[in-house]
Amino acid sequence: MPPGVSKRIKTLSVTRPILYGNSAKKLGSVRPPNAPVEHTHLWTIFVKGPKNEDLSYFIKKVVFKLHDTYPNPIRTVEAPPFELTETGWGEFEINIKIYFADEAGEKMLNFYHHLRLHPYELVNNQPPPPQEPNDEISSVFYDEIVFNEPNEQFFKILMGTPGNLLPSNKTESCIFSKQLEQEEIDRINIGIGKVDKEIEDLKSKIAEKLKD
Amino acid sequence: MASSDIFDVLNIQQKSKSPTERTSSPSPALMGKNASKPQVTGMQRELYNLLGENQPPIMVQANNRFKEKININVKPSPWTLAEFQATPTLKFKHWVKGSRELLGDDIPESSYTKYNKHLTIPSFTKEEYDVFMEPKTETTSIVVSANSVSNEEENKQDDGGEAKKVETSDLSDDTKDADAKIPVGTDDEKKPSETVEEVELKKNNNWEFEEVDYLFGLCKKYDMKWPVIHDRYTYNESRTIDDLKEEFYKVCQHYFRNKKADDPLLASLNFPKEKELERKKYLERLLARSAAEIAEEEALIIESRKFEMAAKKTLNERENLLRLLDSPNSNHSVGQFLTSHGISQLYNSLLSDKSRKRKHTTTVPENPWMKQQEQFAQQRQRLQQMHGNKQLLQQQQQQQQQELQQQLPPQSQQSQQLQQLQQLQNQILENSDSVSPRKTKKQKLEMQTAMKRKAESAYAEQLLQNFNKEEKNSLGVKAHGEKLLPGPYMRSTKISTFKPALQNKVNTTMQELGLPIRPAMLTSNVLEKHEELLQRIVTLTDLKKHLDKLEAEKAITK
Repeated sequence: MPPGVSKRIKTLSVTRPILYGNSAKKLGSVRPPNAPVEHTHLWTIFVKGPKNEDLSYFIKKVVFKLHDTYPNPIRTVEAPPFELTETGWGEFEINIKIYFADEAGEKMLNFYHHLRLHPYELVNNQPPPPQEPNDEISSVFYDEIVFNEPNEQFFKILMGTPGNLLPSNKTESCIFSKQLEQEEIDRINIGIGKVDKEIEDLKSKIAEKLKD
Repeated sequence: MASSDIFDVLNIQQKSKSPTERTSSPSPALMGKNASKPQVTGMQRELYNLLGENQPPIMVQANNRFKEKININVKPSPWTLAEFQATPTLKFKHWVKGSRELLGDDIPESSYTKYNKHLTIPSFTKEEYDVFMEPKTETTSIVVSANSVSNEEENKQDDGGEAKKVETSDLSDDTKDADAKIPVGTDDEKKPSETVEEVELKKNNNWEFEEVDYLFGLCKKYDMKWPVIHDRYTYNESRTIDDLKEEFYKVCQHYFRNKKADDPLLASLNFPKEKELERKKYLERLLARSAAEIAEEEALIIESRKFEMAAKKTLNERENLLRLLDSPNSNHSVGQFLTSHGISQLYNSLLSDKSRKRKHTTTVPENPWMKQQEQFAQQRQRLQQMHGNKQLLQQQQQQQQQELQQQLPPQSQQSQQLQQLQQLQNQILENSDSVSPRKTKKQKLEMQTAMKRKAESAYAEQLLQNFNKEEKNSLGVKAHGEKLLPGPYMRSTKISTFKPALQNKVNTTMQELGLPIRPAMLTSNVLEKHEELLQRIVTLTDLKKHLDKLEAEKAITK
């Protein structure tokens, strides 16, 4: 731990939203010079803010651990943008480690992302439309990093930047917004309603059965 | 395998002197002198080779003996064919150990005569028989009359036609007292059987004294061996064995009642023929079962046992589940109850809803800690008040003193007041001393942590007081006031997970609802809702399971 680390502020947490995921494109006629022959896709894995804002005030570095078949599979990105572009032919799990700023004195976060190169299958089992070279596929996850009980120094840094801001409406460039959140909540509420109804039904059924 | 191998395994350094050394690795020079090796007999060579350095002193016995030979020269003990008295009239012979001189001349009784015992079966003349059979009908009516007078009268009216009863009802005064001593319970038992007998008597009143006498004679002759008696019974061939028994016991009962009315053994002479017939029929049925039927019955019994067990189990489970359903849905994390404050809150809330029927609610003990806390709170309040009072008093005192000083001529009233005040003050001081709470270490610690937490959350609140809600939101800062593990985490890791089987069910339910298993946007609000949903789904699956069980159970009972 760095010296002069200050006390944790108890019972307080600070949240920072992040996006992580990958985008992928089929390799067209233009190929990077060093790409092996069997590689078919060009992909980029990233960790960023929902509005593409700078996260370097609390993230020191991001380490991506690629499949062992890549040369130097452990790639460290120490400056924003925290992203990595590679070519490949298959999907695999990428291990992502986020290291926080020294002031934070926090352990790194460790999680996995499944690299996606092929488009999602549609729900109604229609064969996916053939992938055009220019079609970009992306698999992005919204998550929030919660700093529970940060120390005072780090708290000041976090407070210095309003990092939890979300756009109020969905846009092409940034779909994660307050609008989406509300939609999400509404959807879950509908689900809760349905489940509640079923529970009531079952309860009455059981009560009936018990009476006999 | 020789001992050298074992030493190898055990890592023991061998000394060259050991006998195995010599045997296992003999030098060519020694080979010729093999004869010098002591010849060991009585032991296997391989076994001997296993002996190591410190061989235990085994004594090999050279001469192992066989069993001793039988001594044929011993004289046999004498046996004699002696007479003995089997019955007073019969003499038999048997072999007895000992010489004739030893046994003597007198003929001994058989050692089994003492077991030759006979039942004493009552014998009676015709007159006696008539006497003790007569009052019997009368005693029954007496028993009834003992119960209620009106009953007796009714009985008399009903049976008025019968001369017997009218006659004997007057005679019975003496026996009445004796009969009254018989416990009512036995009377009640006897009554129905006797009335049945009476009816039968009337129906076929064909038991003459001669036949009874004949029956008793047979009983005496064959020592109550009923099958034999029945076999030899020639008086009336139509009688069954049960008829004979019934009559015998009935007559005996009357006989003994006439002799000694309150004999407690009288009840044992009861012979309900109907029951006996039923028993026999049942036994016959039981014995007539085929092997297949027996097997089936056994299987059925086992099955029913299983069902009983299962029913008990499901009943238990159902009770548990219903109790669970009654209790409030826990949408919140457990975290809030991990603190002492939280737990006391939970305790209070559980205590307050007494409407719920729970097994343990009846025996809920009072929470001593809560009580003490309340006391502390009161004491603290009192202390504060006293402190305030003290200050007030001091002020008053000062004022008064000033006044006194101003008004130089001392006034007795005022001085009295002053004294009173001082006394009061002293009292209060004493009180405050005695009141000062004696806390145990644990309580102190609890108080301290509680205070600390309060201070911490207060500090957090204070840090955030400059921000309004929206600002807080945009900064993503929140004072949750709970005790959670410090450190960063991804919100997505806080989604509840379940056991694999349950998780699968939950997932399918989510799919049915058209919801993603992981919400697309995991903000704290969404997560909260999501958890609520998950909780409900779990309840739902639990209920479904339960319903299925109930249905299966019902199908079984049908």
